Amino acid sequence: MDPLTVPGTLSSLEPIREYVRAAAALSGLDRRRGYRLELAVDEIATNIINYGYQRAGKTGNVEVRAEIHPDVLTVILEDTAVPFDPLRVERPDQIDLPLTDRPVGGLGVFLALESVDEFRYEYVDGHNRNIMVMKRMAA
Amino acid sequence: MAFTVTSDEKNGIARLTLVGELDASAANDFRTAIEEAAGLRPKRLVLMMGGLTFMASAGLRTLVFAKQKMGANVDIYVIAVQEPVRETLEMTGFQHSVIMLDAYDAAEIEDL
Repeated sequence: MDPLTVPGTLSSLEPIREYVRAAAALSGLDRRRGYRLELAVDEIATNIINYGYQRAGKTGNVEVRAEIHPDVLTVILEDTAVPFDPLRVERPDQIDLPLTDRPVGGLGVFLALESVDEFRYEYVDGHNRNIMVMKRMAA
Repeated sequence: MAFTVTSDEKNGIARLTLVGELDASAANDFRTAIEEAAGLRPKRLVLMMGGLTFMASAGLRTLVFAKQKMGANVDIYVIAVQEPVRETLEMTGFQHSVIMLDAYDAAEIEDL
């Protein structure tokens, strides 16, 4: 699919999800797995916008690109925000705690990593590249 | 799809109806509704989620905020949650801290 480029602001989350939903439908992912990919992309995009751009005082775009391969659907988010590798985030230890004892937040990256079949991160030429892969035929 | 939250309160039960997609851009609206509901000092918080088609971690964060703002003895009911959102709640252990029902059960919820 042609890539979609949107400004790095929270109002871009909805068009990003719509793009991913269209890619999931085109590649034949079922509703459950399509939703999981949509959630993962939304969480990573939220992190890029909130932390990589806004809290760092930077502005820039987010590009989302879907590649439909015979076996997998790959969605790539690319941005010029502060370098951030989601794979280096520690798994939260709050999952077993009652809500009264939890920190507020810290679940977005966890949800993203748990929701996709494969997650890769690259930092190339000043660009973060978050790569999320779903198998088209679920095992 | 835009997110909307509507509120009502009756006999100590604060009820919020969530519709649409609850992402990070919409979480402030949900949080504001929670703060307003908390101000009424309800005995129970009921979240009608049948029309909620998407919920990101920003929504989870607001649920944690709700529990901590209202206190451990205010039960939170999650009603008619759609399957993908239920899966998110279960992946993150929220099902142990909220009461999930398939439909609004007045006999259970209004028995204070």
